[in-house]
Amino acid sequence: MSPALFDVLAGIAKIAAVWAVMLVALLPNLVWAERRGAGLIQDRPGPNRVGPFGLFQAIADVLKMFLKEDVTPLYADKLLHTVAPAILLVPALTTFAVIPFGSTIPIAGRNVKLVIADVNIGILYIFALTSVGVYGLVLAGWASNNKYSLLGGLRSGAQIISYELSMGLAAIATFVTAGSLKPSAVVDWQVQNVWNCIPQAVGFVVFVVAAFAETNRVPFDLPEAEAELVAGYHTEYSAFKFGMFFMSEYANMIAASAMIVTLYLGGWALPFVTATGVWGGLLSIAVFWTKTLAVIFVFIWVRWTLPRFRYDQLMSLGWKVLLPLSVLNLLAVAWIVASKGTP
Amino acid sequence: MNADLVLFALAAGLAIAFALAMVVQKTPVRSVLSLVVTFFGIAVLSVMLAAPFIAAIIMIVYAGAILVLFLFVIMLLNLNEEAREKESRPVQRALGLVAALALGGLLLGITLRAGTPPVAGPAAGARIPSVDEIPVVGRLLFSDYLFAFEASAVLLLAAAVGALILSRRRME
Repeated sequence: MSPALFDVLAGIAKIAAVWAVMLVALLPNLVWAERRGAGLIQDRPGPNRVGPFGLFQAIADVLKMFLKEDVTPLYADKLLHTVAPAILLVPALTTFAVIPFGSTIPIAGRNVKLVIADVNIGILYIFALTSVGVYGLVLAGWASNNKYSLLGGLRSGAQIISYELSMGLAAIATFVTAGSLKPSAVVDWQVQNVWNCIPQAVGFVVFVVAAFAETNRVPFDLPEAEAELVAGYHTEYSAFKFGMFFMSEYANMIAASAMIVTLYLGGWALPFVTATGVWGGLLSIAVFWTKTLAVIFVFIWVRWTLPRFRYDQLMSLGWKVLLPLSVLNLLAVAWIVASKGTP
Repeated sequence: MNADLVLFALAAGLAIAFALAMVVQKTPVRSVLSLVVTFFGIAVLSVMLAAPFIAAIIMIVYAGAILVLFLFVIMLLNLNEEAREKESRPVQRALGLVAALALGGLLLGITLRAGTPPVAGPAAGARIPSVDEIPVVGRLLFSDYLFAFEASAVLLLAAAVGALILSRRRME
């Protein structure tokens, strides 16, 4: 087999594997986990009727969404109303391309890197995609021709732009220490030294808080604050278009968790364990997904624990607390790296 | 058929078609969206020229920040349809047409006279080897272009302060 063909086949296999994990294994079961988790925290059973422990609830929900009537409001912008959920969902599903979900695995005598595209711009690719995702929310709000939707869309746009800055600045500090923008290089640095969440605890906290805001999760779910805005930007959506919003929320959550794991929690690495070969590769994949699931559980846990922020609190937290903190963190990290003299 | 050529034609065609759509479109929100697609096409072209960093910056800064703010203003002012012009402004139209034709002719002339590009473009079929461009950009910004870099930083700061002062004054 020629090297080029091998690379193409390996790439397709990796894309198929990642999407299979996300779409088949994670997305439906996350909805179940969220509802059961809510039940656990609120001392009630949660969905427990469909299948063992209610595990097939997700299948029932997806079927329901397919079979429901798809309503478009009479005075909506029909084209944008249809396109908006897709604009949100596609970036959510493609951010995974640059996240290393394992070390390397030997296949047919070669070491295959377990990342779909190990590009030089690395994290910038993710930020470029998430910045396109904003349009999905804003347009959904605008195209519905509904005041609640519009307010939800505006809120989400302002929120995501505000928190993207702190998130980016916090992430840059991890690249300064690693000396590269490649997520795989950041993981390698953490394998050789220490997990970034320890020396860059400030950046870690800023990044996690900003990740909650970027994914519109409680306590930052103002775009869909049901007490004020009915359902925010997706008020006028039904059937599978609503399903796409639902999916993209969870896909974004998975991607954000994977980024937190990659940048701050050592990626696929297990401390004090170095394993290579097929089993080492499989172990690294298992470690990566375990860590990601743990972070996702924190997302769910927080949702059912904290109340929602007020809009002015949200803005002052973003601009007056997180942004200065992330700048200070970056300056401190840059100063330490420069004083050590490493390039 | 050369795959790079097909990709180039697609991206360039997309950019041009949506640039036209932006101008022709009656709804301002759709105009902004057309511009986003245009930037996306340009970003794809930069990736093909082995400059993925530039592509990412185009998407993050222009598509992700500036145009979202455009969209914001349009949505806040609720400009559903461009305000119909009361008079047809024939002089401005004629002047605009002349200026557009002159600019187009200039660009076309330069492109035709330049002949083969000194750097093999994507259409030439030769793929440029991908280097890690970020250290290069960083080094250039802090050596050869240090003055321009710092000057633009100060300019942006001044603009931000100015915007703050203007909005404050209106509030009082």
